[in-house]
Amino acid sequence: MSLTRNDPPVAGVADGARTASASLAASDAEAIGREVIAARRRRSKRDRRKFLAVRLVSLAVVFGAWQLYGMHTIAILFAPITTVVHSGYNLFAHAQLGSQLGYSMWTFAIGYLIGVAVGIAVGMLMGAYRVVEAAVSLYVFALYATPMVALVPIMTLWIGFDATAQIVIIALFVTWPMIVTVFHGVRQIDAELMEVSRSLRLNRRQTWVHVLLPGAVPFVITGATQGVAMGLVGVIIAELQTQLTGLGAALQTEAQTYHTAGALAVVLLIMVLGVTLRAILGLVQRFLVPWMRLDRGDGKRR
Amino acid sequence: MTAMRAASDRGAPAERAQAAAAAGPGRGEIRCSGLYKWYGQTAVLSGLDLTVANGEFVCVVGPSGCGKTTLLRMMAGLAEYDHGTITIGGEKVTAPLAQVAVVFQHFGLFPWKTVYNNVALPLRAAGLDKAEVRRRVAEAIALVGLEGVDDRYPAQLSGGMKQRVGLARTLALRPEVILLDEPFAAVDAQTREILQEELLGLWSRHRQTALFITHSIDEAITLADRVVVMGTKPGRVVDDIVVPIPRPRTVGSVRRHESYAPLRERIWEQLRASGSPT
Ligand SMILES: Nc1ncnc2c1ncn2[C@@H]1O[C@H](COP(=O)(O)OP(=O)(O)O)[C@@H](O)[C@H]1O
Ligand SMILES: [Mg+2]
Repeated sequence: MSLTRNDPPVAGVADGARTASASLAASDAEAIGREVIAARRRRSKRDRRKFLAVRLVSLAVVFGAWQLYGMHTIAILFAPITTVVHSGYNLFAHAQLGSQLGYSMWTFAIGYLIGVAVGIAVGMLMGAYRVVEAAVSLYVFALYATPMVALVPIMTLWIGFDATAQIVIIALFVTWPMIVTVFHGVRQIDAELMEVSRSLRLNRRQTWVHVLLPGAVPFVITGATQGVAMGLVGVIIAELQTQLTGLGAALQTEAQTYHTAGALAVVLLIMVLGVTLRAILGLVQRFLVPWMRLDRGDGKRR
Repeated sequence: MTAMRAASDRGAPAERAQAAAAAGPGRGEIRCSGLYKWYGQTAVLSGLDLTVANGEFVCVVGPSGCGKTTLLRMMAGLAEYDHGTITIGGEKVTAPLAQVAVVFQHFGLFPWKTVYNNVALPLRAAGLDKAEVRRRVAEAIALVGLEGVDDRYPAQLSGGMKQRVGLARTLALRPEVILLDEPFAAVDAQTREILQEELLGLWSRHRQTALFITHSIDEAITLADRVVVMGTKPGRVVDDIVVPIPRPRTVGSVRRHESYAPLRERIWEQLRASGSPT
């Protein structure tokens, strides 16, 4: 009998050990237990390896196709990945892509943090108090449904074309989905848990500290993760529509001078930025929400 | 009020009894009279009368949807009643009372708190000092046999263990009245019987007033001094039966008792007459 082939036999051994336990010597049971645990560990390791292998193959196929197609088309339309990477390197080394990246990340960071903070505050108040919901949810959902691009010309009229305007635009892109996600999150906090809090006679402050805030953390992280994508859209739109700065400027210059490889390099850089920020938020989640990734003992994460 | 509670809580049984006598009907007496509750157009409870004496263990059985949970939530100060009165220890219930604690069907544990912190939360919220909190939590966790899992999260516990945490949280509060809404419905049959016997043992230490809602006739007979049968549409008390089985009890001793079978039969008949039990 193999413990390592597939899932059912592992469960089978565990059951078998239980039903037959009367006739098993303690040492035998212990040995079987060790074997079950080891098999489980091998299984999850194998699952992870399989996942990684598929991902690597997929990357190889996509980049290979990109490379091949790029090599057999005209340079104005597309470029092979090697050329793109090389152009990116040149933009960093001989143009200002480095400082442009720095500028964009700076406005992004401020706008994003404002958007997230406002989103958490408004979303939580709206979720926790019916009065606040009655007063503001109408506008929140209206603006949530409005493409923020439509507000950009108005923002430039009101604020101008400087970094402040860009930051406000980025914050606007981030904040509406954030509010909505946090609002629904607070509402979803188990009605039973709210009842438990009342029954345990928690006062308002205690209910916030021990129930509402920790209960909302997973939703805040979900909203913040979506916000990364929204905020990056905001950065590029703000930079293209107000003052030409940062990555937006780099993109525009490269595209307008038909340096397709350079433009693709900037796009690739934005992608890397987004993926990195999301990965960082994933780590934050593991740290802040330890109760959501507990091992159930079957080798699978909940 | 807190001073009185402390005196009757921590004293020896004799002191407790004296304190209870001095306080009149006893801080644990539950009295519902003429209770009505409507949801929309339907009357869920219609003129319900029920009294639970101080220190009595009453089980409520009734068909699904007859208003058992509604009744318990009203006693717990978690739901309003539309007409009638509920008093506990002579005090009218309009909000959760300090001497009342609830054990919830779905455990009601905070997923982001460890076992220890789940049990400690209401004690800290009540303003007990650190040393007292630590003492009471340790004692309660030991009582329900959860030593060594204090720092686990609820997601790492079995259903039976989760409800032990729920019980520990309730016991640590040292309530006069414990309200339990089908607390063992979500655990398997074997664990359920074990938990029943443990609950009997824990309850016999202080004999708090207990109102225990269940679907199971066996469970009701095993635990209760009195079984109240509720009927449906609208919810009301259709029978009120004293269980003459002596304590201390075990699941086995109850099953073997001569009055077990006739009691079971009578409750079953009442349930059948008042709607299908589930
Ligand atoms: N919040 C509510 N709104 C409307 N109807 C409810 C609500 N809570 C309970 N009910 C109804 O009241 C009746 C009694 O419910 P409940 O007390 O939960 O019954 P039980 O616990 O005996 O199964 C049911 O018919 C249920 O549908
Ligand atoms: Mg119910």
